[in-house]
Amino acid sequence: MQNVATAGSPSEPQFAAMVDALSADPARRERLTDLLREDHPFYEQRGASTVVRMRGWVLLALARAGLTDSALVYVLEELDAGADAYLVAAAARALRTYPNPGPALAPFVVGSLRVTRYHDEPLSFESYGEYAVASSDTSAVRELLATLEWLGPHARAVLPEVEALRADRSGFSRKRLGDIDRAIEAIKGDGRAQAPGEDDCCRLPAGLGDVFSWARGSRRDSGEVEEIVFEDQDGAPVKFGDFLRGQPTIVVFFYTRCDNPQKCSLTVAKLARVQKLLEERGLDGQIRTAAITYDPAYDLPHRLRAYGQNRGARIDAGHRLLRATEGFDALRRHFKLGVNFVESVVNRHRIELYILDAEGRVAASFERIRWDEGQVVERAAGVLGEGRDETEADPAEAPLATPVRKSSTILGTLASLGVALFPKCPICWAGYLSLFGVAGLQRIPYSPWLQSVLVAVMMVNVGSVWLRARATGRMLGFYLVSAGAAVILALRMLPGWEKGAVLGVALTLTGSVLSVLGTSRAFSFNKLRASRPRRRTASSEH
Amino acid sequence: MSNKRKATKSSKAAKKSSKKSAKKSKDAPTRTARAALSVAASGRQSAEDRIEALYEVPHVVGESESNLESVLKVLRNKEDPIEVRLTALQTLQAATFVSGEYESWRSDFIAALREVATDADAELRQRALGVLAREKDGFAQKKLIEGLESPEKALVSPEKALQLLSNDVHTDAYSVARDIVKEPPNTAAKREALRLLAADATAAPLLEKVVRDKDEALEVREMAAGALHTTQPEKLQKIAREMLLDESESDEIRTASLMALTQFGDPEQVAQDETLLKHVNKLSEKAPKLIKQTARQFLSKYKR
Repeated sequence: MQNVATAGSPSEPQFAAMVDALSADPARRERLTDLLREDHPFYEQRGASTVVRMRGWVLLALARAGLTDSALVYVLEELDAGADAYLVAAAARALRTYPNPGPALAPFVVGSLRVTRYHDEPLSFESYGEYAVASSDTSAVRELLATLEWLGPHARAVLPEVEALRADRSGFSRKRLGDIDRAIEAIKGDGRAQAPGEDDCCRLPAGLGDVFSWARGSRRDSGEVEEIVFEDQDGAPVKFGDFLRGQPTIVVFFYTRCDNPQKCSLTVAKLARVQKLLEERGLDGQIRTAAITYDPAYDLPHRLRAYGQNRGARIDAGHRLLRATEGFDALRRHFKLGVNFVESVVNRHRIELYILDAEGRVAASFERIRWDEGQVVERAAGVLGEGRDETEADPAEAPLATPVRKSSTILGTLASLGVALFPKCPICWAGYLSLFGVAGLQRIPYSPWLQSVLVAVMMVNVGSVWLRARATGRMLGFYLVSAGAAVILALRMLPGWEKGAVLGVALTLTGSVLSVLGTSRAFSFNKLRASRPRRRTASSEH
Repeated sequence: MSNKRKATKSSKAAKKSSKKSAKKSKDAPTRTARAALSVAASGRQSAEDRIEALYEVPHVVGESESNLESVLKVLRNKEDPIEVRLTALQTLQAATFVSGEYESWRSDFIAALREVATDADAELRQRALGVLAREKDGFAQKKLIEGLESPEKALVSPEKALQLLSNDVHTDAYSVARDIVKEPPNTAAKREALRLLAADATAAPLLEKVVRDKDEALEVREMAAGALHTTQPEKLQKIAREMLLDESESDEIRTASLMALTQFGDPEQVAQDETLLKHVNKLSEKAPKLIKQTARQFLSKYKR
């Protein structure tokens, strides 16, 4: 078969040989993970079936080399929303080489089993691009069941679901019933293995998640995409800068010709649920939503409207379905979209949702694993709230600020003022007494116990500024206050250097004021890998 | 071409047998499904009897491993008469609808289809590839594209391969379809290549060129126009208007253009187009019959 990919891309046999070489070389194995990026240039101008063969071979190479933490998310993504039996099977096989099997993996496997049983097919992993023509070969369901067996007691939380699937039998070949029984026996174990705790059962391994947040100061400007022109579901033109600025916006990407029901169709249906949650929380006028198509040439306005309406999406001035009539490439670069194309048609994409702040910058993203509607709304409300913090928002919108955040701000402000205005030396006392009209330095007692009060108040201030900095992502104030506290403490201990503590006071005051007024733009890059929300059970699965 | 002739021959044989079987089964005493399956699987029975038996069993194919296996075995068996094998495929296809448990034997069915997709019989190949292509099967797509790129490997005619590949818009076939539009083996293949390219917005300039080409066959130009409408309806409206006003165009093309404007024209834009409306008015009074009729439909829609 000829290679139809872009010049410079390897042919399929060359690609397979390269993958084999990488998997055989421990020093270069990590590069296999990079080949799983949807936007990798090797996948440009390949049909979806070719991309399946190529990605499947990479997953199988990972299965030979051993699955690493960095590649785990790609495997879980395939189990979470994959529709192709070959990729699901290869992912299941790769997962069995992960060195840390745990309860968090089981819901992905059983979730995939629930869906894949209806479109299972015979598979061969013997050589690159080989298709099975005998049902005696392996299959996606078989690989998934083998993976459940491998998980054993770690999958105990999903045992009722596996037993229910066994009892239902729907979609399972009779040949697979024995495999299910073996998986059930392995999950039950010999009774000695300890069942995982409730809290452990549904969380991803530490350090792995699908949610990424960016602190305000580290967010990329939307300059590059400001002038992109969209057309909405009614054919009305709108610029990125006009629609996606001024308020936070929840943005999802999709396309109407997507044939994976776990991806685009579900994404838009879930966006409709997000819109309802926003409405219930009284946020629908303050947070917009936008569903942007990957396929702007085909997704003409009437197709966008029908697709949104058929999935229950609310469509109005604040909630639109958009296609970029100009500048899609810039849009793709700006969001670093996980998508690739054969001609103008999408050949593969990931699930991706972005929360933009009021300046149109990406404040948070949910990638690869199916997102939770409640978590998205919560995060968007947080982004809306951070805008309030800066602008000292309208009191009518106060319910958005949580009591914790309000009390933190008040406490921090008081502590900052307390530290700054605390009389720290006889001269301060003199100043205060003079201010109140009381003269006579001889009446000023020097009280050593005030030192400990000062330290305690200073620590309260540092703590409250840290809490606020963590919540808002503005770390500069915290750094200054910490430096100020350190200077004060250090210089108080050095005889003859006490006057230098003025520098510490100045740092503390400046940091506190910056922290409260929010004039700083943070230096930090806070890549938050939040824990994955609880996996849905069969009854709540879409 | 010889494959095509063979396919037609075996298809006719199968149809003939099925008609006879249908007539005979009306008169035949009722037998159990197990007995019918036994007859269907037996090489000692006549082809006619086996075909008749196969028509009786779609509802029990998915009931047990052995039932399924006995019909799949007939489909796969190269020694069995081709009309019996074709009927086995038909029975399995019917079973996918009537059997509530299709998903449980889908995997075995797909494996068998892949096996017979390269069978010596042209019709069996084509039908198996048809079922697989509708399932967006990677194996079928790979084989079909290989056949388009290297005709000596072709399992079906190029026009059939393109038609089957157009079941999946995510196909790898756009590049080869463009090549076929430029150098078609026959008109049917060119038409199917254009149909496939309808899904690719980047093919619009090529489609436009074909639509405007007065030397091109009418069916090819119509297909290109339909394909262009998928991604660029405004562009098609503009071209249709130009062709309608172009007196050097054939009556068929002008009629097709007028129909396109009637069906898909932007009412606002058309209503303001005095030149177009005057021209259509004229056609509604004096033109060949079909154009006149279409012009009247156009005017009744746009109220003139």
